[in-house]
Order: sequence, then C-alpha cells, then structure tokens
Amino acid sequence: MDGVKVLLFGAAADRAGTRETQVPAGEITVEELWLLLAERHPGLSPMRDTLAFAVNGEYARGDARVSPGDEVAVLPPVSGG
Amino acid sequence: MFAIVEGQIDVAALISSARRPDCGAISTFVGTTRIDESEEASVEYLEYEAYRPMADRKLEEIGAEIEERWDVREVSIVHRVGRVEPAEASVAIVVASPRRAAAFEASRYAIERIKEMVPIWKREVWSDGYVWVGSQVGTRETAR
Repeated sequence: MDGVKVLLFGAAADRAGTRETQVPAGEITVEELWLLLAERHPGLSPMRDTLAFAVNGEYARGDARVSPGDEVAVLPPVSGG
Repeated sequence: MFAIVEGQIDVAALISSARRPDCGAISTFVGTTRIDESEEASVEYLEYEAYRPMADRKLEEIGAEIEERWDVREVSIVHRVGRVEPAEASVAIVVASPRRAAAFEASRYAIERIKEMVPIWKREVWSDGYVWVGSQVGTRETAR
C-alpha cells in the first residue's frame, strides 16, 4: 500500500476526528508529514507544540525520514500512571 | 513481568512472585485512580489507552534502565488500559532487591519514567463530559 500509515492517540485522535489515516506521500520527513496531516485535519494544528511523534514504534524528531509503508504515531503528552 | 492489561491488576500475585531468598526487600508502588470533584461535577471513572506494542517495549526499557542503575533481582511493571473505576489500581510496580534502598529508589524511578515517556494516555470521564489529562482537550465546558 502506498503512503504512510498514521495513528493518532488521545486528544490528537479527538481533534483529528480519526484514530488512523493513510497519508499519500513518498520519502519525506516527520515535519513534512505533519504539515500534510494538519492540512487535512486543521483541528490538530493548535496542538503542534505539545505533540511528539514515533516512527515504527520509536520516538522520532521532526527531521527523521519517513518512507512509504512506515507507521507514524501522533503522540500527545503522555499521562499514564 | 512487563505488561499492559485490560482487567484488574493482581498486586498480591506480583509481590508473591517477586519473593527471592537472595533479596531482603520488595518495594511496591501502586498508582490508584483518584477522583477529583468540582462544585458542579465529579469524575466517574478514568479510561486509559496505550500505543502498543511501543508502550510494552517502553516498560521493558524502564526495567533495563533499572537493572543498569541498581542491584535489583526482580522488576515487574503492570499498567492497565480501558476503564478503571475509582480507587482501583491503574499501575503496579514491584521491585525486589537485596537491600531496601535500591528497591525504594528503583520503584520511584519506574513511576517517574512511566509518566515521562510511556505512550499511555488517560481520560477523566466526568458527569458532564470528559477531559484528556495533560492535553486539556475534551467535551467538558471547563476544559481549557
């Protein structure tokens, strides 16, 4: 399947109105993927500064590379415990 | 044992399985769901969700960090997901060590690390809506 699978959790899923989406994209960075995502789900934008990202299950910075087939997770501030 | 579970946590069983003849201390931390109240509403229950399997792996990483820092012989961390009723255990940490100082310090370290970096989120479900803790996003009028 082409594109990047994006999973959203907690408040981010609420704001986006979805828990999972597919973003058509080639080789991009996490930050570029975020811009595509925020365009499609404008409700997410105000959360930007609070969010962390994971690529294939590991925390990743904005300049990390993302390839088609990868799984990116949008992670609001964690609140376990 | 490092686990994310849906049902109630059997804390007694965790403690029991941490007993060892070479350890003189078992430290247990149990996080329970606290119910907050305002004048017009109260929390009815909490609901947790996790990003799995990343969250499972992060619990194991905390265990490895503890073993690097302290002389511990058993570490168990169990966190619940789903609906957790008031005063129930949402997380349990059990550490066995030859000496009490290491057991106390390691269990404290584990809960602080969970709150820092394990991808788990909780939602307070109030009588008048819900709030994601940490994001203050939700359906309550008073959610900021």
